[in-house]
Amino acid sequence: MDFQIERNDIANAGTVSSLTKRHLKKRGLSRSFVKRVTIGVYEAEINVVIHSYGGTANLNIENDYVEIEFKDVGPGIECISTAMQEGFSTASPYAIENGFGAGMGLPNIKSVSDEMYLDSSEDGTTLRIRFYIKDEDYENKPINK
Amino acid sequence: MRINQLINNHSFTLLTNTPDDVLINNVVACDLLSHVMANADEGDVLITVLNNINVLGVASLLDLSLVIFSYNINVDDSIILKANELNIPLFKSNLTTAEVVYLLKEMDKTIE
Repeated sequence: MDFQIERNDIANAGTVSSLTKRHLKKRGLSRSFVKRVTIGVYEAEINVVIHSYGGTANLNIENDYVEIEFKDVGPGIECISTAMQEGFSTASPYAIENGFGAGMGLPNIKSVSDEMYLDSSEDGTTLRIRFYIKDEDYENKPINK
Repeated sequence: MRINQLINNHSFTLLTNTPDDVLINNVVACDLLSHVMANADEGDVLITVLNNINVLGVASLLDLSLVIFSYNINVDDSIILKANELNIPLFKSNLTTAEVVYLLKEMDKTIE
């Protein structure tokens, strides 16, 4: 599933995470697993909205993992290791007024995901996060599981 | 604690349609949505001064029980309308955020 994410579209921020949550619940996944993925996807989605010129998200749900890739078209993260520090933020006043920019986005994503790939240049940022599904993460196992 | 206890308390004003009398779990008081995402759980109350549609996004994603706007802040009609669509009860209070937390704890000693 592919999604378009527009720059500064705060009113629609959360659409990707909301739809992801809905799909995961339909698959019979547990509340705790769904919450973990929802947090990661929401933070990543907000980052594209408030920090980038816009981008896309691609959601892939398999029986044993969920992976979502975010790609934007810049301006990129100047220093990834600094951006990964809790509390570090380059958010605009507009983003802060709207309740974002706490500098917790990337650290939250790292803490909830099982794998996180982040690459950035001035041409854009790619973030790929993966969540492995264990048997106990299914409240209702799908028939083909 | 249940939502009806808030409806019947003069410190709170219900802004949305009368909700089901659901159980309230715990309290999160915060104006930074990433902190709310990281720390709130299903059924929690969110106390905030953020008059912002994204509060509803977070409340919906986390299945929070309700939102209380403290400091008597003005809540936009568009937010109330959207909250009714999403079935997220909104309350408003003249109290400060700290006073709301204290009052909720007084009303329910099990709140941590």
